[in-house]
Amino acid sequence: MRFFDYFKERIIFILLNIIIFIVSSVILGALRVDTYAIIFIFILNLPASLIFYIYDYFNKREYYLNMIQSLKLLDKKYLISEIIKEPSFIEGRILYNVIKEVNKSMNDEISKVKRNADEYKEYIELWVHEVKTPIASCKLLIENNESEITKSIDEEIDKVENYIEQALFYARSNNLEKDYIIKEIYLRKCINSAIKRNANVLIEKQIKIELSNVDKIVLSDSKWIEFILHQIISNSIKYMDKRESAIKLYCEDKGENIVLHISDNGIGIDEKSIKRVFDKGYTGENGRLYSKSTGIGLYLCKKLCEKLGLWITLSSKKGEGTIVSITFPINRMMKF
Amino acid sequence: MNKKIFIVEDEEKIRDELSNLLNRYGYETQYSLNFENIVDDILKENPHIILLDINLPQYDGYYICREIRKKSKVPIIVVTSRNNEVDELMSMNLGADDFVTKPYNTQILLARISSIMRRAYDNDEVEIFEYRDIKYNLSTSEIEFNEHKIELTKNESRILYTLIKNKGKIVSRNDLINALWQDDEFVDDNTLTVNINRLRRKAEEIGAEGYLQTKRGQGYILI
Repeated sequence: MRFFDYFKERIIFILLNIIIFIVSSVILGALRVDTYAIIFIFILNLPASLIFYIYDYFNKREYYLNMIQSLKLLDKKYLISEIIKEPSFIEGRILYNVIKEVNKSMNDEISKVKRNADEYKEYIELWVHEVKTPIASCKLLIENNESEITKSIDEEIDKVENYIEQALFYARSNNLEKDYIIKEIYLRKCINSAIKRNANVLIEKQIKIELSNVDKIVLSDSKWIEFILHQIISNSIKYMDKRESAIKLYCEDKGENIVLHISDNGIGIDEKSIKRVFDKGYTGENGRLYSKSTGIGLYLCKKLCEKLGLWITLSSKKGEGTIVSITFPINRMMKF
Repeated sequence: MNKKIFIVEDEEKIRDELSNLLNRYGYETQYSLNFENIVDDILKENPHIILLDINLPQYDGYYICREIRKKSKVPIIVVTSRNNEVDELMSMNLGADDFVTKPYNTQILLARISSIMRRAYDNDEVEIFEYRDIKYNLSTSEIEFNEHKIELTKNESRILYTLIKNKGKIVSRNDLINALWQDDEFVDDNTLTVNINRLRRKAEEIGAEGYLQTKRGQGYILI
C-alpha cells in the first residue's frame, strides 16, 4: 500500500475539503470576518485533517502489510484466518468477519469431503476383506480338486487377488491418516514372501532368482513393502523376453541409506517413457505391445513409498533390462 | 496318534475344504457349528493346534484368543482376511503363535502348522515317515535303509519329504521347485537336477536302489 495510492483513493474528499474551505472563507470574507482569523482557522484545520489521514494510512498499512507477510510465510494459505488479528477499523473488521465466515464454511466443506473419502476407504477395506473369503474358499477347492482345469482357474484367481490387493492399497494410499506401522523389519523376509507369492509364474517361466546382501534391517511397514516388491516383481515377470531370464535383488549401503535394487534382464523401457513410468495411467509402449497394463502398479509404488518416506527410482536400457531402486533411510536412533 | 486341529471358522465351505485338506495331510480335524460356547468347546476337545478366524459371529477371534490363553497354552494360528500390521500385532499380543492371511497359500499354511507342531510337541515324538523299507526322519533329516543311515542336506530333505507326501504319484519338477521355494530356497532348474542326483546317490549309498525314478517329461516318483 503506497502513500500515493492511498491518497488517490481519497482525492475526492480532499478536494471537497478544499472546496468547502474556499467557499466558507469566501462567505466568512463576505461576513467581514477578519482575514487573519480566516487564515488562523485554515492553519488550524489543515494539520488536523492531515494528521488524520497520515494516522489512518499508517494504521491500515501496518495491518495489511502484516497480513500479507503472514500469508507469504504460511504453508497452507487457507489458515490465514486463524492468524490475522481483528483490525481496529470498520472496513477491516467487515473483511475480517467475511474471511472468517468463508473459511469456516470451507472447513465444513472439506471435512464433509474427508468424511466421504474415509467412508469410501472404509467400504473398500471392508469389501476387500469380504471378497477374500470366497477367494480363500476357491483356493481350497482348487487345492482339494487338483486338475489341469483347476490349475488354470488358480492362475486366474491369482490375477483377481492381485487386482483386489491393488484396490486395497490404492484406497490406503489416498487416505490422509496413517494406517501403517513403522518398525524394524527384515528385508529378506519381505523379499522372500514377495517372491513366494509369485512362485508359480516364476517357476513356470524358469526365471532365475538371485539374492545377495539382503540381510538388512530397515524401518518400515512390512505389509506395504511386500506389496511394493510384489508389484515390481510382477512387472519384471510381465516384460521378460529372454530365454535366460533372471531377477536379481541386492542391497547397497550408501552412507545413511540402504538401497535395495531389483534388477531384471527383460525388455527394458525406452528413454522417452522412463520419465513417466510412475505417472498414473501411463502404460507406455511396452504396455501397449506386450500385455495388459493398467498403469497403476508403479504409480501406487511411488505413492506408497512417498507415504513411507522412501525413495523409489527406475533406470532402464531398452533391450537390456530394468533396475528399480528403493532407498531406505537408516535412522541414527537405530544404532545404540 | 494323529495331531488334532481345531478349526474356528464360520464360513462353511472354507471349514469343510480346510478340513479335507488337513485330513489329506494326516491331521485330525475338529470344528464347532455353534459359536456360543466356542471357548469351552475348544478346550473340551483339547486340540494340538487351533486355527482361528477373526471375523466370527457372537465373539470375535481376539476375544476367543484371549479367553483360551487364560486357560491353556495350546498353539493358536490366527487365520484372517484382515491384512495389516495392526491386526498382526494385536493377535500376537493376545497370545497367538502365528498369523496367516487369507486367501492363504495352502503350502505356507501347512508349513506353518507343521513347524509350530514341531516346536510345541517335539519332545514327545519325532516325525518319522516310512516308505516301504525307507525310514525318513524329518527332525534330523536322515534316511535309514537296512540299518544304514545317511544325512541329507536341507534341499534333499525337502525333496524327499515332498515325494513321500505324494507317495506313488508323479511329482513334477515345477512342484518340487515350488516346495523348495516355500523354504526360501529359490533354486532353479539346474540346481534341482543336481539335488535330485545327489539324493539318488545318497540313497544308493545305503543300498536303497531304484526308489527314486525319473519320469521323462513328467517329473519324479518314489517307487
